[in-house]
Amino acid sequence: MAARTLLWWLVPIAGLAELGGHFHVSRRAPGLADWQAARPAVEALRRPGEPLLVAPRWAEPVARHVLGDARFPLEEVARADESRFEAALEVSLLGESAPEIASWPVLEERRAGKLLLRRRKNPAPRPALQDLVGRVPDATVVDVVGGVERPCPWDAHARREAGGLHGDQAYPAARHACPGAGAWHFVGVTVIEDEQWRPRRCIWAHPAQGVLRIHFPDVPLGAALTGHAGLPQWYERERRGAPIQLRFSIDGAEVGSVTHKDGDGWAAFELPTPGRAGQRGALDVSISAPRAQQRQLCFEVATR
Amino acid sequence: MSRTARALRAAQDPLIALACFTGTLALLIHTSGDLGYARDEGFYFRAAADYQRWFELLFRDPSAAITKAAVDRHWRANHEHPALVKSLFALSYKFLHQDLGLVREGGLAYRLPGMAFSALGVSVTYLWGARAVSRLGGLVAALLLLMQPQVFYHSHLACFDMAVLTMWLVTTYAYARTLEGGGVGWVLLTGLLYGLELDTKHNAWLLPPALVVHWAVTRVPPLLRAELAGGRLRPPAALFAMALLGPPVFLALWPWLWFDTASRFLGYARFHLHHDYYNMEFLGTTYFRPPMPRAYAWVMTAATVPTIALLLAALGGLRSLRELPTRARLDAAGAERGALARAFSTRCLWLLCIGTSYAPWLRTSTPIFGGTKHWITAYSFLCLFAAVGFDWVARRLAEGLSPRLRRLRVAELCAAALVVAAPIATTLHSHPFGLSAYVPLFGGQPGGASLGLNRSFWGYTTGSLLPALNERAPSRAAVYLHDTAQDAWDRTSRDGRARKDLRGTLSIVDSRAALYHHEQHMQKVEYQLWMEYGTVAPEAVALFDGVPVAWLYVRPGQTRR
Repeated sequence: MAARTLLWWLVPIAGLAELGGHFHVSRRAPGLADWQAARPAVEALRRPGEPLLVAPRWAEPVARHVLGDARFPLEEVARADESRFEAALEVSLLGESAPEIASWPVLEERRAGKLLLRRRKNPAPRPALQDLVGRVPDATVVDVVGGVERPCPWDAHARREAGGLHGDQAYPAARHACPGAGAWHFVGVTVIEDEQWRPRRCIWAHPAQGVLRIHFPDVPLGAALTGHAGLPQWYERERRGAPIQLRFSIDGAEVGSVTHKDGDGWAAFELPTPGRAGQRGALDVSISAPRAQQRQLCFEVATR
Repeated sequence: MSRTARALRAAQDPLIALACFTGTLALLIHTSGDLGYARDEGFYFRAAADYQRWFELLFRDPSAAITKAAVDRHWRANHEHPALVKSLFALSYKFLHQDLGLVREGGLAYRLPGMAFSALGVSVTYLWGARAVSRLGGLVAALLLLMQPQVFYHSHLACFDMAVLTMWLVTTYAYARTLEGGGVGWVLLTGLLYGLELDTKHNAWLLPPALVVHWAVTRVPPLLRAELAGGRLRPPAALFAMALLGPPVFLALWPWLWFDTASRFLGYARFHLHHDYYNMEFLGTTYFRPPMPRAYAWVMTAATVPTIALLLAALGGLRSLRELPTRARLDAAGAERGALARAFSTRCLWLLCIGTSYAPWLRTSTPIFGGTKHWITAYSFLCLFAAVGFDWVARRLAEGLSPRLRRLRVAELCAAALVVAAPIATTLHSHPFGLSAYVPLFGGQPGGASLGLNRSFWGYTTGSLLPALNERAPSRAAVYLHDTAQDAWDRTSRDGRARKDLRGTLSIVDSRAALYHHEQHMQKVEYQLWMEYGTVAPEAVALFDGVPVAWLYVRPGQTRR
């Protein structure tokens, strides 16, 4: 057979190669049985307080299904970032790593079938002294309009809402409900999607016409206030809203302010609190926007 | 040769085309049961139910049916799309399901016309491939058309996408026959078919420009000289037939346009010219308004059409370039001159149909929300080019064999088996996740997920969650339907696919079980479910090759055990 004829065989052979490729790629990723078989190994490696990251992230729903809520507390799944954790467990498939922790040194590594488990140590953890998201129930909230303070009382049984695709985030039953403007005008804990559509657990604080002020009493203080602020990507991406200002003060003295503009995304901030480390104080967060339409601000703040 | 033998020989291609049709239809019916009803199918079920009531009035009292009041009442639903295909859904449901009871499942009765269109598309692809290339090439083209995961998925649906692929194909086929001297019958048929195509989907408006350009392009100097010499230079009669017959057929079969015709037609045109933008993920970014990514159509084609089909189509294009009817080639062709010119004309027509189908996505303002279905009309022509490429390869392979093996067509048959094997395997494997399927070159489904390509849309993967939903949803539960349209769910329920005690709802708060159909932008809905249900752990996950496509939540403590 002539060499040229042999070359033509490359075309049907390409078809054969695609068939081989199909069998290869369709069996590469772990199925449900693989995940279930890996469960004991995951349980053995995971430590409380260390988040579990699945790489690639698209496989996380399977992990949540198999491992359950106990291994995926909401505050870890919808964490603000990874900085506060001492370590994390990475469940890797298809040779991928979670980009957030890929540079962390590996403490332990174990293969469980098609899954590779790596416990990684945060080289520079910054644990929170106090995560203020957890303090929302004992905060005091007022809406200040024209110099008049209108209380937003705590309601543990408010009407829940979840707007679906075109609506707002879930309005929790337990929230500080502000009177007048609408159900959206409250302070409470929810989860928003950031600019990469990742979940972020945060304090919903949609300002209305005035200034929404949240008062956290008796907060253990450190060297700084750190946090993130953002809008749900659904609104943030429109880039049509007014800037939102968050002013932070401790015991009445302003510590600093953050201005969130559409397009900033889930943006980190840090405000030094010099001379306050080891003390306790009252933290006030005042949120306002010149135009309050679609200002679904959500933020988290911690003392460190 | 006896008369019977001659008749059988002449009937070979129609018989093979018929086998393609029935085989395709049988396969689609067989695989329809586990394919959930898509969002848009729900809208068309509802519209078809209204149209059915009008047909019943028409059969009972024709003069009452053609009044403006009756037309407005029954044809208002979904009037942004023409009526032909939905009318067939309605008539299929009425006669095959309700009156004759031949089709047990109502949803299948609605889907049957769509499946028949798909089967017709496959068989006409064969016919044209066999006529223009070779019988085996035609078969390869037909198989390559059906055996694409996304085409196979759309082939099942009570929607218009495969219908318009087929109508575009058959209209163009008839048009091509008129160019080959098919006579007045083919001319009239072309006009009639174009009217039906107009009444199928708005893609049809793109066909005439392609045909006019084809007429101009095929007047290249060497051919033009021959035509001028023969005094034959005039636009094809079929173009006039399309212009004269197309619009009346379009109007006649769409009662909505019988009254206030101008304003309603303009409303229809405006709807499509200024269509809303929906969200669509592409390479990790969700696009929701212009500019849309210019590479979208090309990358999605490469990511979803089996690579061997694209390779063969590229070879077909290359071979066509090598066979361009230059003056030298025409002079050298002798008796084959006509065949050379015909091949050029046909392939030019195919190329223009491909180009026209993709053309809207050269603009960054054209919506991309429907993925590959937008330019699906190109795929039959792509497969016809694949037939040209295959034929080229098969001939070269045969040349290297002994005369005996050549007579047995060993090389051609081996090559055919090898080039269709992967498409068949990937497509049958992809079902019922056709919209989630990506070719091995892109890493398959895991590769598509990692690249940030759309996982699925239209909420049809509810079908894959039904076993878990039926088993575990609490009694009399309201089920949050997410992206499944209420009408699609109602059909799921009426067809007995979902438990009768389950009720669909679009309220997360009121629900006790919830479906979640993954798309990047849909994740905000999942986060609402976490908050409302107090769990991040799905009760069940529909996996395709390890990639989660849709999942089910049940409020903790309420799972039926």
